[in-house]
Amino acid sequence: MIYAADMLEPLSVDDAFAPPGEPWHPVSPRLATARRITMMLVMLAVLAGLVVLVIVPESRPVALILVAVWLVLLVYLWWLIGRRVRSFGYAERADDLLVTSGIMFRRLVIVPYGRMQLVDITAGPLDRRLGVATVQLHTAAATTNATIPGLPPAEAASLRDRLAARGEQRSAGL
Amino acid sequence: MTEAPAAEPGPQEGPGPQEGAGTSPGPDLPAGPPAGSASAWATPRRRTHRLTPWVSSVRTIAVLIGVLLVFGGGNLRALAGEIGGLLGLLLLLAGVATLLLISVAMNYLAWTRTEFFFDASGDFRLDSGILQRNERRLTLSRLQSADINRPLLGRVVGLSQLRIEVAGGGDSRVVLSYLSDADAQALRAEIIARAAGMAPDVGEAPEAVLATVPTNDLIVSLLLRSETIILFGVTILVVLTVTMSEGPSGLLLILVTGGLPLLTVFGQFGRYFGFTVADSPDGLRLRHGLITVQSQTVPPGRVQAIEISEPLLWRRRGWVRVSLNVAGLQSEQDNSQEHVLLPVAPHDVARQIISRVMPGVDPGALEFVPAPPRARRRAWFQFRNLGVAHDDLVLATSRGFLTRRVAVIPHARTQSVEVTRGPWQRRLGLASVQVDSTPGPVTVVALYRSASDARALAEEQLVRAARARAAGPSERWMTGRGTAAPDAPDAPEADAQAAMTDARPVGPGDPTFGLGTSPSGSSEPTGGGAAGGPPAPSGPGTPTGSL
Repeated sequence: MIYAADMLEPLSVDDAFAPPGEPWHPVSPRLATARRITMMLVMLAVLAGLVVLVIVPESRPVALILVAVWLVLLVYLWWLIGRRVRSFGYAERADDLLVTSGIMFRRLVIVPYGRMQLVDITAGPLDRRLGVATVQLHTAAATTNATIPGLPPAEAASLRDRLAARGEQRSAGL
Repeated sequence: MTEAPAAEPGPQEGPGPQEGAGTSPGPDLPAGPPAGSASAWATPRRRTHRLTPWVSSVRTIAVLIGVLLVFGGGNLRALAGEIGGLLGLLLLLAGVATLLLISVAMNYLAWTRTEFFFDASGDFRLDSGILQRNERRLTLSRLQSADINRPLLGRVVGLSQLRIEVAGGGDSRVVLSYLSDADAQALRAEIIARAAGMAPDVGEAPEAVLATVPTNDLIVSLLLRSETIILFGVTILVVLTVTMSEGPSGLLLILVTGGLPLLTVFGQFGRYFGFTVADSPDGLRLRHGLITVQSQTVPPGRVQAIEISEPLLWRRRGWVRVSLNVAGLQSEQDNSQEHVLLPVAPHDVARQIISRVMPGVDPGALEFVPAPPRARRRAWFQFRNLGVAHDDLVLATSRGFLTRRVAVIPHARTQSVEVTRGPWQRRLGLASVQVDSTPGPVTVVALYRSASDARALAEEQLVRAARARAAGPSERWMTGRGTAAPDAPDAPEADAQAAMTDARPVGPGDPTFGLGTSPSGSSEPTGGGAAGGPPAPSGPGTPTGSL
């Protein structure tokens, strides 16, 4: 295996989470839809409880405040999900895959292809309906958390195949 | 390495059903030992020691009596009283005796139905089960470890357990109980010899004791651990507060809260009593325990990362504790496998032992680059211990407040790299870099570097890791100091055999002997994946066995 000599030069990346060369490959906005639907289901269940409280006269004043809080929370979560989904990104380099996520708690995981042990694709019923899938990379380290949610199934499958092919070329045991 | 020729004609002398799972090796196997010697690989069926059913019964009885005492004592007496004096007592005794008899009978049956042997292809087989038969076959070419345990009861009558582990998923382990101490030793040696492709009767590999932990040091070190001190401090605080507010009766609390630090100290003491590190060709052998003596072999090739921790109160004495991440132990839920290489040792002893599991690595010689001064605002207490260092072989990080922890990971063992940043770090322009290792107590993380440094550190580590991997199979990286021809593991069977016989008194680190270094340790089909099934390509989707 040959590694480009220029790779050995120390990089001076201003932002610790800057994309390598080309911009981050984003995930599908449909992931936001999927997450919002799930969120709405939970929130509606909470609302149902609140409605009961509103109907009971004794708890009405408190319940009305709670409903207001519920509304604010709903708007906030709606917006947050959009931001979080936009924060996901991945990039394929010659020798490794980069996955980034998070806003407050930002992370960037870099997994060498040679270290991948298996690549998973998962999609729940809602995900399948909306056409998104999650690709997850596993290494021998349990702490490796390289998960790319919200890829269109075709893209997920082709990414998996590319990763598998590169992994096989560069496989390095442990 | 130890497979018999694929199509050995005629029935072998080896007894036992030949139709057992996977006994018919596929055509993908490398040539075995010279024709005709196949029967030499097989052994007659053997049983465990004849005291086994009795020893097992004693355990059952102990459990039984415990259960009776805890739950049944009152009820039984009441029952006995109802039925009436003597008769009740007799009935009770009869009941207990019946249970005893059943227990002994079951254990005896189980013992007669438990047999182990080596089959014609040289793999270890264990048949057991009274009604539901269970035939297990351990492919010795994938052997990870064979270790001897001596539980209390076994020690009394001179019996041992042998724990054999092969690479693979959760249930890849066999515990053989009980064997006489000598038998267990011999069988262990035989298994390791067979796994290495040597003659089964090559005998036990010689071992040399490298270090022992004196009992005094162990006790003092346990008392001076940060955890003990904190627990002790909390105890005093609680007792004082309660005594102040509640009066002298608060002192009674000591009985409860004082127990906790004592219990931890006693537990650790019993566990690490008589800790001995010995060098043997198949790895470092760790032996320890007061009541149950455990032994474990750490093949150098399986050590993924180490951590040297230095509790505050140990520093004056110059003591450190060394723990490790060993590949392939992630599925271990029980505590039978140890992650401690040295519970306590002076610096130079620790350094010497570390250089055995990671040749050429000297954590003391590394020069740590401290975190930027503004990191102090994120980590007031551990700031002065924060640092990261690297040399040609390893990356090391240090952190910790009361206990300074230096984690060391060879570049070649880097799994993946992660850069993280929380909101507070973001304000300060900091980020942390974690180098992922296999599961274990060691976490390699360079905390609170400046943001641009962090990314550069991560990228450089990836390049170093790639270079280290490209430089040679990681399996052999650790034992590169061996004097024997490093290509022996890849050599054809015959050559390897010759090399083995030449190298009978194998030197330490000889790659032809090391469990973690023999080609059989790697899951690649070249090593002979005789477990049945087609040779799988290594790579994604294939869990690698060469952990």
